[in-house]
Amino acid sequence: MALFPLSSNFEGDFVVQLVVVDDGATMDEVASACAVHSIDRRVAPRPGKVLRIRRHSTGELYPREMLVKNTGLMPTETIDVIFSDI
Amino acid sequence: MSKLASNEYYDLVRTTNWTPRYVPESELFPEMMSGARGIPAEAWESFDEPYKVTYSDYVATQREKDAGAYSVKAALERANYIDDADPGWVSTLQAHYGALAVAEYAAATAEARMARFSRAPGNRNMATFGMLDEMRHGQIQLFFPHEHTKRSRQWDWAYKAMHTNEWAAVAARHMFDDMMFTRDSVSVAIMLTFAFETGFTNMQFLGLAADAAEAGDHTFASLISSIQTDESRHAQQGGPVLKILIENGKKDEAQKMIDVIFWRAWKLFSVLTGPILDYYTPLEHRKQSFKEFMQEWIIGQFERQLNDLGLDLPWYWDEFIRALDETHHGMHMGVWYWRPTVWWNPAAGASPEEREWLESKYPGWNATFGRCWDVITENLQKGREDLTLPETLPTICNMCNLPVVGAPGDGWNVKDYQLVHEGRLYHFGSEVDRWCFQQDPERYKGHMSVVDRFLAGEIQPQNLAGALLYMGLAPGEIGSDAHNYAWAGVGKQQAAE
Ligand SMILES: [Fe+2]
Ligand SMILES: [Fe+2]
Repeated sequence: MALFPLSSNFEGDFVVQLVVVDDGATMDEVASACAVHSIDRRVAPRPGKVLRIRRHSTGELYPREMLVKNTGLMPTETIDVIFSDI
Repeated sequence: MSKLASNEYYDLVRTTNWTPRYVPESELFPEMMSGARGIPAEAWESFDEPYKVTYSDYVATQREKDAGAYSVKAALERANYIDDADPGWVSTLQAHYGALAVAEYAAATAEARMARFSRAPGNRNMATFGMLDEMRHGQIQLFFPHEHTKRSRQWDWAYKAMHTNEWAAVAARHMFDDMMFTRDSVSVAIMLTFAFETGFTNMQFLGLAADAAEAGDHTFASLISSIQTDESRHAQQGGPVLKILIENGKKDEAQKMIDVIFWRAWKLFSVLTGPILDYYTPLEHRKQSFKEFMQEWIIGQFERQLNDLGLDLPWYWDEFIRALDETHHGMHMGVWYWRPTVWWNPAAGASPEEREWLESKYPGWNATFGRCWDVITENLQKGREDLTLPETLPTICNMCNLPVVGAPGDGWNVKDYQLVHEGRLYHFGSEVDRWCFQQDPERYKGHMSVVDRFLAGEIQPQNLAGALLYMGLAPGEIGSDAHNYAWAGVGKQQAAE
């Protein structure tokens, strides 16, 4: 259990933002943490969609239950948070 | 008594490349400071300045310029223009003074480097005047806002900004330090006077002078027009230096310096001048859009100047042209959203009429940046101001030290250009910012952005209050919406306190 800073590149938003999560958090939990700083602030919610996490540099989509510490992400590395049907 | 006309003796008396007897040339003109790059003294003597000014001519002209600007100020002081000015215009002035007054004073050091260490006598002579110019620009731009400090402490940031760790001040200093303080005389001539001053200060000063005249702010219009006459003179030191470098086989090196600093200047102006011209200046006083100014002053004039010298357009020119439609809109939204962290009150500039203007100047604005402003506007109308204020920091580019931004909404294209160098992960707002870093990692690698400092625990407590404390922003100084959200149809328009 340790704090892990990430850079959130949220679909539809204009800026990348610092979001600090726990390294034991799942990708779904990371997505929720990122949403706090974008959804209903500058990005309208999209009911029926789920938020998925992608590695920004490669486009690799992480499984929803994967833990931050198992992703191979570096501290402050940028992730895309995207709206998805599944 | 008859007097020689200055053009009869100027060339002779400024031929000052004397032969030193007590020290070797290498000590008189150390390479680190002079940057002669192996080009012989005779070649530097071919430096032919377009303006040939003697000290007595210079002093007489400057005295007149100062007298002109100061007398306009004195005559209009009692009219209290500022009290009735649009709050967006007040913000324009406060942002301008804070970002530039002390930086101009600092530019005297860069001019002094050329005045002392240039191998070209003409360059040394011109730079001596350039040094005096920049002292004048520092002093006059501290003096003019000073009368307003009784109105609000934000005016005091004309002096204070550059002495703080406020993020925009950090970004400006990083760029100015790179261009003015840490380079040899030849690099200063190229980067500061040619790329920055001919390219960009022209636009800030002429663009703003046009808007100031439209807004009826004759004091500010006369002030910055007065400054610009100096800039357009001393900016001409870069051309002859470039000519000498190119003639002596150093074109690639010269080109690279221009490419690096042009991009850095563009980024700085995208956060300073872009929001001012397209969002803060009241709609009815906008002469041209930021993009139109850029097209006229940068694309038109700068392109021609590069061409005349036999230089190429920077390799990223297409990307630069593309970014003219985008970057400053993102920078503006960032400044507005993180408004407590700036020393002026950003004007949103997003009322229905202003949005119409933006859409006409930047087709597609409503479907991109407009989407974010839709959510912001709705929140204000619902009484949810809290959702329009930040609860985290933006990711900051390790070159320009500005947020990593792009187009939102339907055209979402935000991209972070990352780089791992010696084990450290760096973030860059564009491919060009990353390229600048890669040209000279030793120069840049040690710098910590405000976010890096936050994560390293240098900012305590680790929240907005801690960040404001770190940035030196006290109550009465922190920014808020310039028009108290009247643009969103909320409440009544109130003048900023
Ligand atoms: Fe200046
Ligand atoms: Fe200057």
